[in-house]
Amino acid sequence: MLRGGVIGFGRMGLTHFSILNNHPEVKFVAVCDSSSFMLKNIGKYTGIDTFKDYHKMIDRSGLDFVIVATPTGMHAEIVKYAIQSNLHIFVEKPFALNVRQGEELVEMLKGKKLVNQIGYVIRFNDVFIQVKKLLDAGVLGDLLTFKMEMYGPTLLKDAKSGWRSKKQEGGGCLYDFASHSIDLINYLIGVPDEICGSVLQSIHSANVEDAICSTFLYKNNLRGNLLVNWSDPSYRKPAYRMEIFGRKGKIIADLHSYKVFFRNESGFDGFTQGWNERYITDFVEPVRFYVRGFEFTRQLDCFIDCIINETPSKKCSFEEGLKTDMMIERIIEDAGKRRAGNG
Amino acid sequence: MDRIIFGDNQFFGINHMSEEKAQAQAECFKDIKAIIKVIDTAYECGIHAFMFNTHDRVAELCDHFRANPEKYSALRLYPSMPYAHKYANVVNEKGMIGALNDFLFTGRTAGEALTTLIRGGRGIFNRDMIEVMKLLVDAEMRMFKGLNVRAIFLQNIVTDLLLGIGAKQVFVEFADHVRKTYGVDPAFNTMNMPKLVEFLLGCGIENPIVCSSINKIGYLMNPDKVSYEETIRTQPFRPMAMSIFASGAVAPREAIEYVANQKNIKSIVFGASSKAHIEETKRIIEKCG
Repeated sequence: MLRGGVIGFGRMGLTHFSILNNHPEVKFVAVCDSSSFMLKNIGKYTGIDTFKDYHKMIDRSGLDFVIVATPTGMHAEIVKYAIQSNLHIFVEKPFALNVRQGEELVEMLKGKKLVNQIGYVIRFNDVFIQVKKLLDAGVLGDLLTFKMEMYGPTLLKDAKSGWRSKKQEGGGCLYDFASHSIDLINYLIGVPDEICGSVLQSIHSANVEDAICSTFLYKNNLRGNLLVNWSDPSYRKPAYRMEIFGRKGKIIADLHSYKVFFRNESGFDGFTQGWNERYITDFVEPVRFYVRGFEFTRQLDCFIDCIINETPSKKCSFEEGLKTDMMIERIIEDAGKRRAGNG
Repeated sequence: MDRIIFGDNQFFGINHMSEEKAQAQAECFKDIKAIIKVIDTAYECGIHAFMFNTHDRVAELCDHFRANPEKYSALRLYPSMPYAHKYANVVNEKGMIGALNDFLFTGRTAGEALTTLIRGGRGIFNRDMIEVMKLLVDAEMRMFKGLNVRAIFLQNIVTDLLLGIGAKQVFVEFADHVRKTYGVDPAFNTMNMPKLVEFLLGCGIENPIVCSSINKIGYLMNPDKVSYEETIRTQPFRPMAMSIFASGAVAPREAIEYVANQKNIKSIVFGASSKAHIEETKRIIEKCG
């Protein structure tokens, strides 16, 4: 039985706790949060130990792993302490506030057999799992262009309170929202050789950006565009749309369905020339326990499997997440150049 | 228990299979009159039971029902609460606790805030989770005042979060509160029906109403279809089936036959937008028994 603890008991901390709490190989023994309301009630209704100080929680609870779901600004110091304490770590996305912090943590992990994973949950979405398989099989031939779009109604007025409006705590559309789609590009296409044309745009927020566009260039004649807006009230919830165009055809995917267009006969089982549409109902498998989406369970079960089987992190290790952080930082740098150029 | 209950997902852009379809549906129902038209079509074809999320649009619908008491004299409602997306944006800004505090104690109309204040003027921070749950149920139930409510559902995200946490006491107190204050049965939406039924029976909640996806292809049936079928066959509870068409992946007749063959299923919840679909579905359900 693996003994686990959660640090940061907000919406994500609660979700992770709920999903893993009835995993047959997991026993949660401690929770840490800054809110007395949360701690009091969790203590009362689950009988679990509660802490306000994560150092104490880690020192006293005899943990095997820890889930870190605090605001991004706190990730680095907590993860550092968890590595020093030899714990397996699952940390919410994005990894850290800057690349230097992330590099230090990846360096600290070297030589240690600790499972480490970042909560880029869309990698575990069933549609994007299929898209990854198709791309790995080379169905599109040489890739030429892609477009990653992400829209949502996350912030519809200037949020003055809370960490999401504070850059130094990891707020803003780029870190908090767009990081998912940037990570998808990292996962499905790879890290670009050049990033240009980046614009960070404020719509409602005084201190952070609400919309982003950027162009990614790759050495092999591939280019892609990123378009993100978290202040779009026409969406009910965050929506992803990815279009990938190659010499042999094209894929269009969102969280629930995808379609593939083949220029000629595909040569792949079940796919024919022209459009091939697939819905999530065609291929999704149920999960052990479902809260808020299949992918949330799949990502945590992957983390726990790696610990039990003593295998390295499979899908979204710190090293992988660091690449995404690097891409984020390069977008900021690129957007800064443009501002500086404009005087 | 009504055999046929009309659901409302199609009105609010909820479609588990396709974002595009969901968006298109939401566009169709921009005007509340378009929603009322579909409700009336269902009502006129003899479906008098409706399951509603506590969406702001549903509050408008309830005003319409109250304004036309004779027309809707046979109406029976099964509210499901809370409608999570209503809170999502405030949660993004202020965190979960901040959002609850806002919803229950500030930023509302003076009259509503006053009713809440009578229960003691403290904010959420010094309160007990169960007290907050009861306040939340009462706040959500206000929109249904004066209407014929038959059962009150806990929406699936909340049900499943609490189930995962194992917060027995919260389920027990929810059931008690709903029975005592509204005189109706507590009910639960879930994506993990077998586990929930076992848990509720373990909490001492007898013969619970549990609504979950039940369809021929096993879509949204966790951990698997076989456990669902066995639970329906062997456990003392009142199963309600939703997503019977698996968002359109199963043909109507095949879908309904699958559900009807599981004799213990008490109710079927379905949503549709056209008269032809509503009538056809109702006809097949009645034919299959």
